[in-house]
Amino acid sequence: MAKKKKGGARRGAGRKIPKVRLDLRRDAPIDYKDLVLMEKCVGAQGQILSRRRTGLRAQRQRQIKQAVKRARHLALLPFVN
Amino acid sequence: MTRTYECMFLIDNDVVRAGWKEAKATVAELIEKHGGTVVTARRWAERRLAYPIRHKNRATYLLSYCDCDPTQLGALRRDLDISETVMRYLILAVDEIPAEEHDLSAAENGEDFVLPEPPPDDAIDEPEPEPTEEEAAPEVEAAAETEALPEDEEKAGEELPTAPVAVEEGPVTTKTEGEEA
Repeated sequence: MAKKKKGGARRGAGRKIPKVRLDLRRDAPIDYKDLVLMEKCVGAQGQILSRRRTGLRAQRQRQIKQAVKRARHLALLPFVN
Repeated sequence: MTRTYECMFLIDNDVVRAGWKEAKATVAELIEKHGGTVVTARRWAERRLAYPIRHKNRATYLLSYCDCDPTQLGALRRDLDISETVMRYLILAVDEIPAEEHDLSAAENGEDFVLPEPPPDDAIDEPEPEPTEEEAAPEVEAAAETEALPEDEEKAGEELPTAPVAVEEGPVTTKTEGEEA
């Protein structure tokens, strides 16, 4: 059991996660109407990209999350594909 | 006490075809019924929906900024839910109205504004953001979008193969390991 867990952790740590460049300006508010940005924030199936992928701080990631959800409500983005 | 709200409405294209001014008036009436005042209102976009709403694949977005009493918002929401004109809405409290909104809204109320006819419900608008849209400012936006697009595609191309493969790999390898153990 312990062996398996160790192996899994090592593999996860070694794996490279492709980062997504969002080009956010430091003080610019994140707007659900910015469709170019919104499409960058979701994956191929329309899922919100994780912080590991975006490399954002907690506050920024929360703003992204909120904006994507608003865009989904207005059918600017799909819920799932 | 009133607050400023940013309201985005999804308007049924059938209603838009019947008359854009009337559609806007219908929404404005609803807001005014609950003691609000519409400061700006303009057509934000007409586009294909990410998923069908009320069996419609396309709709027109109406972006409006209005002052409204927060205590009346619940009643307004109820009316919007019932409304046949408004398919969806999003009401957000904002601190101030963006400066350009006044001009854009005024431009739409001008004499020479012609509303582009909404395309048929099954029309698909993918590659180019329609040159018939409007004048100078949107063209610049369109140019920026097209510039950004290839980048996106490249990125998507880079991500697509790696991401799902990585996800699939994990469980498969652990399974085989487990069997060996």
